[in-house]
Amino acid sequence: MNSSVIGSTRECQTTAIKKSTLDHSLVPPCQDACPLHMDIREYVDLVAQGRIMEALQVIRNGNPFPSICAYVCTHPCEEACRRTQVDKPVAIRALKRFAVEFGGDKMVRAEAESKHTEKVAIVGSGPAGLACAYYLRKLGYPVTVFEAHSELGGMLRVGIPQYRLPRTVVDTEVQRLTKMGVEIRTNTRVVSLDLLLNMGYKAVFVTIGAHQGLRMGIEGEESPGVIDGATFLREVNLGLKPSLGKRVAVVGGGNVAVDAARTVLRLGVNEVKILYRRSRTEMPASDEEVKQAMEEGIDLQFLVVPTRIGRENGGLNVTSVRMELGEPDDKGRRRPVPIEGSEFNEKFDTLIVAIGQAPQTPGGFGVRVGKGSTIQVDPVTFITNRPGVFAGGDAVTGPATVTEALATGRLAAYRIDDYMQHRYPLADKDSREKLSGELLPETIEMIRRIDRLDLPTSPPQARANDFEQVELGYGWEAAINEARRCLRCGMGADILFQYKCATCLSCLRVCPYHVPYLDASGTIRIPPDQCQACGVCVVECPAKAIVLRKPYDRRHISEELEHVLKAAAQSNVRPLIVGFCCQYGLFGTGTLAGLWRGAGASIWIVPVLCTARVEADHMLRAFEMGAEGVFIAGCGEQCARENTDFWVRQRVEKVRGVLTQIGIQPERIQAFVSTVTNDGDPAEELDRFAEQVGNLYLASIIMQEVRS
Amino acid sequence: MIEPYGKVLILGCGTCMTVCDAGGEREISFLHSALDLAQARSGNGVHSFSEYTIKRQCDLEFLEMLLGRIEDVDAVLSLGCGIGVQAVAERFPDLPVLPGVNTSFMGMTKEWGVWDERCAACGDCRLAETAGICPITRCTKGILNGPCAGAKNGKCEANKDMDCAWILIYQRLERLQQLENMRRYYPPRNFRTIPRPRRIVSKATVEVGVNNE
Repeated sequence: MNSSVIGSTRECQTTAIKKSTLDHSLVPPCQDACPLHMDIREYVDLVAQGRIMEALQVIRNGNPFPSICAYVCTHPCEEACRRTQVDKPVAIRALKRFAVEFGGDKMVRAEAESKHTEKVAIVGSGPAGLACAYYLRKLGYPVTVFEAHSELGGMLRVGIPQYRLPRTVVDTEVQRLTKMGVEIRTNTRVVSLDLLLNMGYKAVFVTIGAHQGLRMGIEGEESPGVIDGATFLREVNLGLKPSLGKRVAVVGGGNVAVDAARTVLRLGVNEVKILYRRSRTEMPASDEEVKQAMEEGIDLQFLVVPTRIGRENGGLNVTSVRMELGEPDDKGRRRPVPIEGSEFNEKFDTLIVAIGQAPQTPGGFGVRVGKGSTIQVDPVTFITNRPGVFAGGDAVTGPATVTEALATGRLAAYRIDDYMQHRYPLADKDSREKLSGELLPETIEMIRRIDRLDLPTSPPQARANDFEQVELGYGWEAAINEARRCLRCGMGADILFQYKCATCLSCLRVCPYHVPYLDASGTIRIPPDQCQACGVCVVECPAKAIVLRKPYDRRHISEELEHVLKAAAQSNVRPLIVGFCCQYGLFGTGTLAGLWRGAGASIWIVPVLCTARVEADHMLRAFEMGAEGVFIAGCGEQCARENTDFWVRQRVEKVRGVLTQIGIQPERIQAFVSTVTNDGDPAEELDRFAEQVGNLYLASIIMQEVRS
Repeated sequence: MIEPYGKVLILGCGTCMTVCDAGGEREISFLHSALDLAQARSGNGVHSFSEYTIKRQCDLEFLEMLLGRIEDVDAVLSLGCGIGVQAVAERFPDLPVLPGVNTSFMGMTKEWGVWDERCAACGDCRLAETAGICPITRCTKGILNGPCAGAKNGKCEANKDMDCAWILIYQRLERLQQLENMRRYYPPRNFRTIPRPRRIVSKATVEVGVNNE
């Protein structure tokens, strides 16, 4: 079969569709919830395809220090994940960690060229300061970071324990700043901003964090043996080994309290208690951490608050009172109320108070300080009461998350840039529409349940004695299976060409999730918040009125096909076989590449994101453009959907009908739907098919010879 | 059919033919590919195809959109129904028009991918008497006094999967408590050949400016 030159209007149609479908996907809830607005859906999808390096690229585009987030992010994205309505949220942080560990420091472009001469000083090297330095450097400013401690990282280094965030991770990420040309001044405590401004810095970003532990304000809090959580963690993280005695209690229910308790345990103390004045549900610490702490044998006491600390025989005699939960406060948390007469005494050697921290701003800074000792700034511009002085991070918000600090740092960098360039500062806005709304019960019912794979952790007995990492990473297969659980919210079908729609109701009839509906005016609607983006209606729409929303300039299948066949034309090996292979499953993730080398045919793969999206037309065109055989290989058992096979076979049968009419043997097209798991070797199946096509090809050549 | 023509425009219809999955934009593309493939296969590429779909082929106004696209084609392969083919022929007297669809019947979608005949457009409608079930199209014999002796378990003797229309009519009349409809006498139906072509005029004949009273 040699293809001839054919006048066709197809090329321009494709271009038109491509232009009109570019980037009209909706912002998914995970991205909306992320302080950094990372393109989570995209990188999860890339992981699902086994394209980890590309996933890493997307991650790096949205996050200056992804490795750090991969370990310690509190993942608000997972709270927002709509998979929760079906079973459990996608393990987004774990997937990011997989990508980051897999790709390491590759894909990093750490160059930055200086475009400006105005210097910027950053006071404090926590996540907010580092992110600000990173983006300012990217924008071309000379940046100096001042850090009071001997190493960069702020809370990343002195707050978060090593078993949660290995120090090597912080080191690698921080070293990149040096490579970019950021000047680092460690062991330099800034006491006056005037000095910096006099030194020629045109702007100063103050991110000194919130390191000052709050006090309970009870009798005996000054006693030796009482220490605040932040100070305790700082001492341990800086290599000191405080003597704690045998029995230690930690007061508080936040992450610092849990971190402190687990650190105490790792310092060799066996009897560790956490005293929290509310109950488990109100605990602000992350669930994973609390769970791990309990596994490690930490005793959590709820509805208890110390009221008096006495010294006794070198130890502490702590009087506590039991609480009950009263009316909800203005934040919606139920207020604890003491139960009268429920006081009791307990003996401890050390009491760690971790009930919150506040910033401690040196008076010499001359910035206005508001509620809770936080620095007051304009919420949009981050500017303080002093010209040229900006502030952000925990110092402004009070204790918050790493990801929030990174986001603030990035925004502050842009606002400082605006200030330097005398531009009116405008808040960044995503012009895309947000996806909102709950999934309907009938949609949920049709979504395939796939169990969430949590990151494995090392056994509690083993991990509680040292500072080795608690969470272990994913393997290749686990990561891909987990990533496949993503519902790809906001990438669903859209009746883009409403004028073409004949309201034939095909979409309504073929949708596996019962999403399209007729509205009161008789117009068909595909609500984007329900659509599961399988693409069946797109292929079945007789008017070609429906497209899938695409966030990136992804190639259409027809373009991939053309691309592949152009490349195939260079090869002299015959017969030529084209395979449409699902990128999500086994056939996509590179495994197949090893299979066809031995085959006596030239096999070319057209990558598709789900075989349910391959149209009958694509299959015919593969033949038209010179293929001797065509196969479609799905991901079988791994498929996140139920009926892909049905649709593939529908189209294969349609094509077979046409092939027969034209005089081409229908056996030249085949769908491989079975997978490795049930039908043995996929290579064997493919070999058989290649042989079959080879025979048919030979027979047809002989027939031609005979005829001529 | 297309053999004598070099450049052929495959013309789709965006209304009924799209709904019937018989001549919409997707079907046009599929046919285009099939023809290209057949031609590539035969090895003598003499034809070149292009494709275009308009909203409706049966209205001359929509056909105006073909101007500028048909000047250099040798023929139009219309995937409209028989009406569309004729409308194109009527609008473009010098252009050969070929039927791409063998229009079969007026029907409805039973489920995705399945269509059933429902109306013969006979101009002698009996649906009021037969509880909304047409014996002309749905009874194999088209009889008006069924069921015949060939009905078995509610199915037709001609096809065991096909419901007997008259059993359906009986059941539905019973349900509606209108069984007397079957006992009534009906004058014989006019089975003579319908005088064609038929025309329906819905506008009244009025003379403007003259007092019609």
